[in-house]
Amino acid sequence: MSEVRLRLRNAPTLRVDLRGVTPLALAKLPEDEIARTTVWHGNEVLALGELFVIEQRLRDDDKTALALEGDLARFDRLGWQLDGGHVEVDGNIGHYVGAEMRAGSVRIRGRAGAFAACEMHGGELRIDGDVGDFAAASLPGSMDGMRGGTLLVGGNAGERCGDRMRRGTVLIAGRVGDFVASRMVAGTIAVAGAISAHPAFGMRRGTLVLASARPVLLPTFVSTQHDLSVIWRLLAASLARIFAPYGTQFALLEQRLPLRCAGDLAVEGKGEVLFFD
Amino acid sequence: MIVNGVAIDDTFAEAFSMKATRLVITAHNATWARHAVLALTGFATSVIACGCEAGIERELSAQETPDGRCGVAVLVFAVSGKELAKQIERRVGQCVLTCPTTAVFAGLIEGEPIALGKNLRFFGDGWQISKMIEGRRYWRVPVLDGEFVCEETTPVIKGVGGGNLLLLARDTDAALAGAEEAVAAMRRLPGVILPFPGGVVRSGSKVGSKYTSSPASTNDAFCPSLIGLAARTELTPDVRCVLEIVIDGLTDNAVAAAMRAGIAAITGRGAAAGVTRISAGNYGGKLGPFHFHLREMAASL
Repeated sequence: MSEVRLRLRNAPTLRVDLRGVTPLALAKLPEDEIARTTVWHGNEVLALGELFVIEQRLRDDDKTALALEGDLARFDRLGWQLDGGHVEVDGNIGHYVGAEMRAGSVRIRGRAGAFAACEMHGGELRIDGDVGDFAAASLPGSMDGMRGGTLLVGGNAGERCGDRMRRGTVLIAGRVGDFVASRMVAGTIAVAGAISAHPAFGMRRGTLVLASARPVLLPTFVSTQHDLSVIWRLLAASLARIFAPYGTQFALLEQRLPLRCAGDLAVEGKGEVLFFD
Repeated sequence: MIVNGVAIDDTFAEAFSMKATRLVITAHNATWARHAVLALTGFATSVIACGCEAGIERELSAQETPDGRCGVAVLVFAVSGKELAKQIERRVGQCVLTCPTTAVFAGLIEGEPIALGKNLRFFGDGWQISKMIEGRRYWRVPVLDGEFVCEETTPVIKGVGGGNLLLLARDTDAALAGAEEAVAAMRRLPGVILPFPGGVVRSGSKVGSKYTSSPASTNDAFCPSLIGLAARTELTPDVRCVLEIVIDGLTDNAVAAAMRAGIAAITGRGAAAGVTRISAGNYGGKLGPFHFHLREMAASL
């Protein structure tokens, strides 16, 4: 199918809001119209042509794609409410990448800012580098975080990862900051590396899987000793499949059985933290 | 048409659309999976009075099941989606939920979903937990041996019920031996079940009865005891025992393949083994949309 490629000319002075710059929207336009498409740069409007060198080309696969090149750390809301197509970035990206996205896929070959995948509904967001705070969480003032889809992070994640998350899957290859899975309502978060303080604080339902970390949990978590081999095999096989691009940490756990703590009893108490001896 | 001495009647088996689903039941080991499945498929020979027709499709290795344990694939057929949902809920609730270490999963990919664990979860009395894994919802119900894991729904598709073969033999021994060999050959094929005991039915029926309360009654035209008595008989005096094999399948092709395998098994043994004729049951072709012509199938062997 087709690809629109945007190559960054120079880093902008202020932050740029990329909402509306989606593969499906740009695929319909000729090159000159893409160049005239406007975005907000601080409180002024800029044309995409002023920020990027624009190319259109055909792809060998069946994807309608938008590819961006350069250090886009000041570009926010890429993939905002994305509902199809494929976005890839060769470089870093700013805040809110994949926020409220419903379908399609986004691949960042670099770092991402805060609020990545927040209130995401569906699709797949993959970030090869680190991701900032509040990944897969809720937008400020909102009651629900991520509601579906998959967030895969090849590096580390900041604080409050999965805060208020309601559904979907988050996999972190590196370590996570404080309050991972805090106030989680449901869904699955799996962390291959280390965790910080207060994991699963206020967790109502859902699953936090720790491949290597041994968590210090609140007293409002209780250890359960039953045989959970069936659900673990289903979950582990899925995690191993999704995590495959970043290693075998979860594939190696398929044949082992995790320890389980249920909580947070201060709220509904139907969540669980799975970890290994 | 004679194949290896076995006469193939110029007739056809008439089959009907049914609603069908496949369940995959796993357990700690094959023995407990079998216990659950035998209970689940018990008293499920005919929709006439059992509510559904169910049977084991095949045993599954650990590599073939969602949870990596050994299991069994079961097919269940009913006359409507509503009746199928009722039977699934009752049978899984009483026979699989109750059986130690078992779990139950949907065995079809596509189809109209009906409840599998969706209502059974309430047995958890509020302690049940839902888990979404790659778009499929599972319920985890606390039970005495840990937790019962069941998929929320199972897809229902249009299946085919009532494919059949009638094996006409010189005596009981020959009829049983032929039927057993045919059943073994047919059960090796995917997508079909033979719902009667041992895969064989001796009470082949016709539609209707002289008694208004009975929807079905004995197929008098194929009863050896009624040669010379019934107004119409399909038998010659040398036939002293008739057995029927009923086949339900997920597709008409699956039913046809099973019937072909059954015909091949009987004709392969030859008439000397005692089954001298193969026939089939139909209702004149006016009731069921699927017609399996015996001679066409025998010719394609």
